Amino acid sequence: MKFRGKIIDIACLNHFTRVITTISKLTKMCVLRLTPDNLFFVLSGKVANGGVSMWCELSQANFFDEYQMEGVSSEDNEICLEVTPENLSRALKTVQSAKSVKVKLTKKHCPCLTIAAELPTLSSVSRVVTHDVPVDVIPRRLWHEFKEPSMPDFDVSIYLPPLKIMKNVVDRMKNLSNFLVIEANLNGEMNLKIETDLVSVTTHFKDLGNPPWGDDASQGGGPSQSRDPEAMAEAKVDIRKLQQFLMGQQVNPSKAMCNIVHQRVVHLILLHEDVSLQYFIPAVA
Amino acid sequence: MNCVFEGNAVKAFGKAVQALSRIGEELWLDPMVKGLALRSVNAAHSAYACFHFSPLFFQHYSLGSGPDHSNEAIKCKLAMKSVLPLFRCLTSIERNVERCQIWISTPSDRVVIQFFCRHDDVLHIVNTWRQCAPHLLSIVTGITKTHNLHFQESEALQAVFASHLCPNVLKASARLLGDMVMHFPVSQEEITLSMTPLKVSLRNYYEREHDHLKIMYTEMSLHPDEFDYFQVGANSDITFCLKELRGFLSFAESHCLSVSIHFSAAGKPVCFSVEDMVLEATVVLATLVDSESRGPSQLTRTPASTTARCADAAALCVGPYEADCSTAHDAPAVMELIASSQGSPIIDSPTLTQFLPQIYNPGGLTAPDDACDGVNTTPSSTTVCSLLFKALSSEQDDDFCAARLPVLACYSDTEEDEEDPKGSPSL
Repeated sequence: MKFRGKIIDIACLNHFTRVITTISKLTKMCVLRLTPDNLFFVLSGKVANGGVSMWCELSQANFFDEYQMEGVSSEDNEICLEVTPENLSRALKTVQSAKSVKVKLTKKHCPCLTIAAELPTLSSVSRVVTHDVPVDVIPRRLWHEFKEPSMPDFDVSIYLPPLKIMKNVVDRMKNLSNFLVIEANLNGEMNLKIETDLVSVTTHFKDLGNPPWGDDASQGGGPSQSRDPEAMAEAKVDIRKLQQFLMGQQVNPSKAMCNIVHQRVVHLILLHEDVSLQYFIPAVA
Repeated sequence: MNCVFEGNAVKAFGKAVQALSRIGEELWLDPMVKGLALRSVNAAHSAYACFHFSPLFFQHYSLGSGPDHSNEAIKCKLAMKSVLPLFRCLTSIERNVERCQIWISTPSDRVVIQFFCRHDDVLHIVNTWRQCAPHLLSIVTGITKTHNLHFQESEALQAVFASHLCPNVLKASARLLGDMVMHFPVSQEEITLSMTPLKVSLRNYYEREHDHLKIMYTEMSLHPDEFDYFQVGANSDITFCLKELRGFLSFAESHCLSVSIHFSAAGKPVCFSVEDMVLEATVVLATLVDSESRGPSQLTRTPASTTARCADAAALCVGPYEADCSTAHDAPAVMELIASSQGSPIIDSPTLTQFLPQIYNPGGLTAPDDACDGVNTTPSSTTVCSLLFKALSSEQDDDFCAARLPVLACYSDTEEDEEDPKGSPSL
């Protein structure tokens, strides 16, 4: 197993760092899958996470100037590592001004992703900084747990309001209740609701628009024409999970969407130019 | 002692207090003819800092206490938590405070710190924050905040460090050092500085017991050219506490000063110093002894305290306080199983730490190490290389036999002792 990538463009380095920082805010540990074309940060929905799962896909060509990898074997040309994204984020944040940053899989005191940066200096010799981030190699027999999630058979798909506004609303609601209901319809309307014994608060968003998924984008029917555009699909979720998702977002995505499977799951999708992030929050009873 | 300082000097003074607060819980004020020294030491006695303001720093500086006009220079000790809040918000000080006056009032055992603030034509009545006698003051054209702090009279505290005996010297702008340490998280306790003729490197340090698998290791290296001055006498790796240094580096950076680093082998202290026309500041930190040479005479570690890890380290040099410190030439003391130059027996660590309370105040400092029970030390038994500071003996202080205090460090002040005892730095 070998992996060696090099980033020399400062903008790419910044962007890469921001993506990893966002991931680090969503989860303490996750799996990094390396393939010849992509990097995936994966969190599989286990009870330990409260059922939350995440899938973040980066196209390596958009970040790395050089990228070489050799997977476990030629049929399984992939590397799967368990990593603490916060370590990666911390390591990358200190080298934002680097002339070049190499990321490689190494074996030091344990398997590591080594981030080696060359920093500019006034003298002829560069300053070298290395961070050895410990990782755990995931054996092939467990790889099935980290496959790309399939698009759920959602009832409603809607574009999200500006994430900052959504975050402000959710932050205030968190003070009042532990659970929040997200509901939306095919008319571009979304409501965020909380209800306690003493008070209920609803924030209404209108004219959000609905993504034109069409039949080919969804499985088994999707938002069929026969669905009443006014009918709300809803899911009640743990408010902290939604808040955690919103807190971590550092960049405004080009597209932000939400798919709701009625009373089952909320599927949030953020699309940037070269990164896509999907986050699944299960509904509670 | 009575001093007045204005403008930017107030901010500089405040920054010095902040840096000192990162070191210890107490602040020693030591007014001398050559200026005012502020000192602090940590509980484990593995870190010491001194900020020395020359009389030029002040608009007015006199050793006699204001109304008393006595010429006695009172040395005193204040609780850091009384002083730090006064200087905590530097931006507000910069904006509001025109002048600061500090004087020591012996009759009432108070150090008075007065801030003269700017305000236009406002009448205010100001109370002090401290729980000592509330003090009311009103001024028509401005606000004066007066803080009366109770002090404990104390001996001066001094760590003597023979920096000119150190084989390794680095000098770099505070900015460069800041750039070096920023690669390490703020929570990083200890780092290892390595020096060879080819490069200087810094890496983070963790005890062996730590779970290797989860630790992120960081290392950075610099070429000798990056330093303003680079002298390597002997390759060495020293490990010291980074946390205690950060306040000092911040001070140095804010004044755009160059920092000099003097050190020798692992186990010997490292000294960071800055100076400009009106002040000089020094931080001396103990360094960890190489694990290979650890002997049973090491200070036992206090499990709870992280600074105790540095206490494991070899000593900060103790020497007699002399008016002119540059004449203190001695071999920095080393806490290992070696005979002292006087050939006296080596003492086990618990007795050394037990000695601490006797230096400062019989009732005062508690020994940092729980392992110390009331072991009585005898003067002859404490002539050993050690971790302690020797206090200045002051005539007024009858409580402890300063004059009869045994010499704790292996220092030499006579010709015959000058042959290098084992363990002193080789030049």
